[in-house]
Amino acid sequence: MRSDPLGRHMRHALYCVAVGLFCGIVLVWSSPFLWMLVASFRPDSFGAAGMASLWPDFTPTLEHFGYALEDGDFPLWYLNTLILVSGTLVVQLITVTMAGYTFARLTFRGKDLLFAIFLFQLMLAPPVLIVPNLTTLVKLGLYDSLIGVMAPYWGSAFGIFLMRQVFRTIPRDFEEAAIIDGCAWWQVLIHVLIPLAKPGLLAFSVVSVVFHWNEFLWPLMVINDPSKQVLTVGLVSFALGAEGASDWGLIAAGTLLVTAPLFIAFVLFQRQFVNSFMFSGVK
Amino acid sequence: MRIERLISGIAALAVSTALATTVLAAERIEFMFPAPVQGKLSREMQKLVKEFNTSQSDVEVVGVFTGSYDDTKIKSQASAEAGKPPAVVLMSANFATELAMNDLIVPMGELAGTANVDTEAFMSEFWPAVRPNAYFNGTLYSIPFQNSTPILYYNKDHFAEAGIKKAPETWGEWVDAAKKLTKADGERWGLMMPSNYDYNGWLVQALTMSNGGQFYNPAYPGEIYYDHASTKGALKFWRDLAQEYKVMPTGVTDSKQVSTSFFTGKTSMIVLSTGALSFVRENAKFAYDVAFLPRNVRNAVPIGGASLVSFKGTTPEQKKAAWTFISWLTAPDKIGHWSRFTGYFSPRQTAYDLPEMKQFIAANPDALRAVEQLRYSQPWIATYNTVGVRKAVEDQMQALLSDAGLSVDEAAAKAQKDADELMQPYIEKTAGALIN
Amino acid sequence: MDSADTASLGAHSMDRVGLKGRGFRAALLPYLLLAPALVFLCAFTYWPLLQALLSSLSSKRRFNDVDAFAGLDNYARLFGDSDFQDAALNNLVYALGTTIPSIVLALFFALALRRSTRVNSILRSVFFFPTLVPLVAASALFLFILMPDIGLLDHYLQKFGARSVNWIGDPDIALISLMGLTVWKNAGYYMLFFLAGLQGVSQDAEEAAIIEGANRLQRLWYVILPLLAPTTAFVVVIALINSVTQVDHVIVMTQGGPNNATNLLLYYIYQQAHETYDLGKATAATVATLAVLLAISLTSLRTMERGIHYEK
Repeated sequence: MRSDPLGRHMRHALYCVAVGLFCGIVLVWSSPFLWMLVASFRPDSFGAAGMASLWPDFTPTLEHFGYALEDGDFPLWYLNTLILVSGTLVVQLITVTMAGYTFARLTFRGKDLLFAIFLFQLMLAPPVLIVPNLTTLVKLGLYDSLIGVMAPYWGSAFGIFLMRQVFRTIPRDFEEAAIIDGCAWWQVLIHVLIPLAKPGLLAFSVVSVVFHWNEFLWPLMVINDPSKQVLTVGLVSFALGAEGASDWGLIAAGTLLVTAPLFIAFVLFQRQFVNSFMFSGVK
Repeated sequence: MRIERLISGIAALAVSTALATTVLAAERIEFMFPAPVQGKLSREMQKLVKEFNTSQSDVEVVGVFTGSYDDTKIKSQASAEAGKPPAVVLMSANFATELAMNDLIVPMGELAGTANVDTEAFMSEFWPAVRPNAYFNGTLYSIPFQNSTPILYYNKDHFAEAGIKKAPETWGEWVDAAKKLTKADGERWGLMMPSNYDYNGWLVQALTMSNGGQFYNPAYPGEIYYDHASTKGALKFWRDLAQEYKVMPTGVTDSKQVSTSFFTGKTSMIVLSTGALSFVRENAKFAYDVAFLPRNVRNAVPIGGASLVSFKGTTPEQKKAAWTFISWLTAPDKIGHWSRFTGYFSPRQTAYDLPEMKQFIAANPDALRAVEQLRYSQPWIATYNTVGVRKAVEDQMQALLSDAGLSVDEAAAKAQKDADELMQPYIEKTAGALIN
Repeated sequence: MDSADTASLGAHSMDRVGLKGRGFRAALLPYLLLAPALVFLCAFTYWPLLQALLSSLSSKRRFNDVDAFAGLDNYARLFGDSDFQDAALNNLVYALGTTIPSIVLALFFALALRRSTRVNSILRSVFFFPTLVPLVAASALFLFILMPDIGLLDHYLQKFGARSVNWIGDPDIALISLMGLTVWKNAGYYMLFFLAGLQGVSQDAEEAAIIEGANRLQRLWYVILPLLAPTTAFVVVIALINSVTQVDHVIVMTQGGPNNATNLLLYYIYQQAHETYDLGKATAATVATLAVLLAISLTSLRTMERGIHYEK
């Protein structure tokens, strides 16, 4: 018999409490975004006692967005960020597919050693290497360029592991059938393996895009020219003045502009997003 | 055959385009600037840059907004290190010494020379108080552009409510007023002062000077006086305001918080830069006024603000372009406009002779106060490794504001030790060495 | 089959992938395919590592300084620097203080939202949203939220009668506030890993437990958690690495203050390189931090290996 130490009513009450607690957590969790939404439309963003209020008891205004767009160069930042994430991703996809394929399907001398070399890189996170990497960029003449921001990430060990895993789990039957039909290795790769590896490639792409869209320290160090600035750095230069008084409505509006694209993409492609993140880590 | 013709055609096109662009292109220089209040002021600066660009076709200035004073220093130096020295930077007024010491910036004489302007004659139009920070070893390295002093802003309604007739002039009066204005349970503070990095050090210097002290050795940038009586007295005063008299919150208070609290009526008095004056004027929805920073032993304040410098490594054309922009920006009418717009005072005396300025001052007496406090102002701390040395005392001030158990002597001693250590490399090369 | 043609190693396997032709070309192929990734890897991971090691042994501090061999001098100065000691200690506290709560919360969310209902889907999104936001954007928002008295948090806490708290200005609390921000930002991300892991937990094992009369808590402790061990191990590693590599919030909100209360290793490196211009200390600190990351990764790798064996 199942043990039932608490009475039915007790269990029901506890359940209600749990649900209530959970709702509380959800509210607290989303409050920063709720504030961001409310504050960016609230006129008169300081002096008013209700600056922190989440309740939208005012007539919304678009003036903060107007100022934000005037102060900050959002269209330019969007463009540069797009260039950054796509430039990074395109090269990554090529290198990780080739390398992943090599480790998954080919046998060669030194395979384990090379694999260990790649493995090692996973532990040497690029953010920690900002000081020497900056020197390298300067020597290569890539300082203050978007390519300089992209370059350190083009050999992504994480991507290589992912693709190796993905290729490994594809059954050999498809390839063998293609070979019998007379295909060369690269035809097998392009026409058989890559299509089958789409979920993995998509997963990697999502992780890469989100990571590089949100990156701050490295672009901050590399880029000076305002015409090449990306969203994250733009937002910070915009939100923090020198002798520091602040217009919170403006900051909220600016933050909304920076986060909106990924939010919208998420809402539209929710399933792919979630699946890819889940895919990207496990086993 | 066809391909050869195509190639030579393209080559010709490329050459002619290159020629055309060199002929037509204006000299493009980068201008890095911070802004005391993001938003309005950075926008206004970009407007000024645009005005300059459209007024002539020899020079094209690209305005780069670089955040805070410290960030501007970091960014400009990083840029120079990477081989792209910015031609004009609006740098915190006291960083020029260190940059000159490390041979990173160009003496202004080199720039002015491209237009045959004598720097001594040029500088004679500037207030004496702002000149010391602009020189190093007798050579002019920066042109002051915007200057400020710390000033006391107070809420007149609160004062009337508490029965305080006039603004406090001495530390004693200050504490009394603050106590009367503070309400129980943190509902209202009597006084708030920013204690985040940069502001903190500036105010510690101000308090030290009001306490009769000098804070640092202006003649030798390797010496600092954190451990001296006047500094310790200042540290103790600020600490007591929070821990003993309880008229201000403990812990570190950011300048954003100070201004926001003032506007929402959560504090009756604040100390902020005069550079925030127009910001306060626009956003305070109550009667307010400004007063000199109260004195203890004497009235003395450090100047703050920013000056224009030019990094080493630029071409002669860029230097010429830089001077064109600098002289335009510091012309009495432009510098006066900036002063009226921001609340900074104009370091160029002659700006105050212009009719617009006279009118403005007549209509806004609070703007005059900043200028009046000038007669008590002295140079800003400028040593070897200024930021590090400054942070040595800032960290201790922050500790004093947060930890009631920390003694002032202990904090001052640690600040002195840390600062001395940072200046050691410079001392080894100068005062501690035998120079041929 | 024309396997007779290929003469290189593993000719049979090469043939299985469609590699025909001369042995030499076939043998060279793997290396050619790996070359691009390897080049970028060496240029931006191994080469800078070497540079950092060399720099840390040099007397050079500013970029126009003299470059002489200085032995372990920089390391001595580094470990003697109270700022570095603070940064290292803070990072340790920060690592524990973010990893444990975020994993516990992530697991809790994953268990609560295990079933794929409409409502659960929306709730999962809510918890996941913070991950999509750049840390600097979140920091800008939290600058207001954590403002004493007037900020969002104090505003609502005061409705419950609490006193105002100086969330980022009080040295005792500042680091905790940053930890809170990090947990809020990352828990949703880890939740996804646990959701995936839970999908892999076989239904049979759970059903067997139910039949044997185990209640919810017992099922959790004796069945689910052990089967989630590999996932948990993986998430712990990611969380620990993040606690060393994410410092955007320190840059935006506290700049290491008040009085080094929120100084972290990577921020210390950034400061030494770009504020104090002490290249020697900056690179020595870089090497020290890399050593820490290495230690984390190696120990976790060993634990994961063991976990996988256990599972098998």
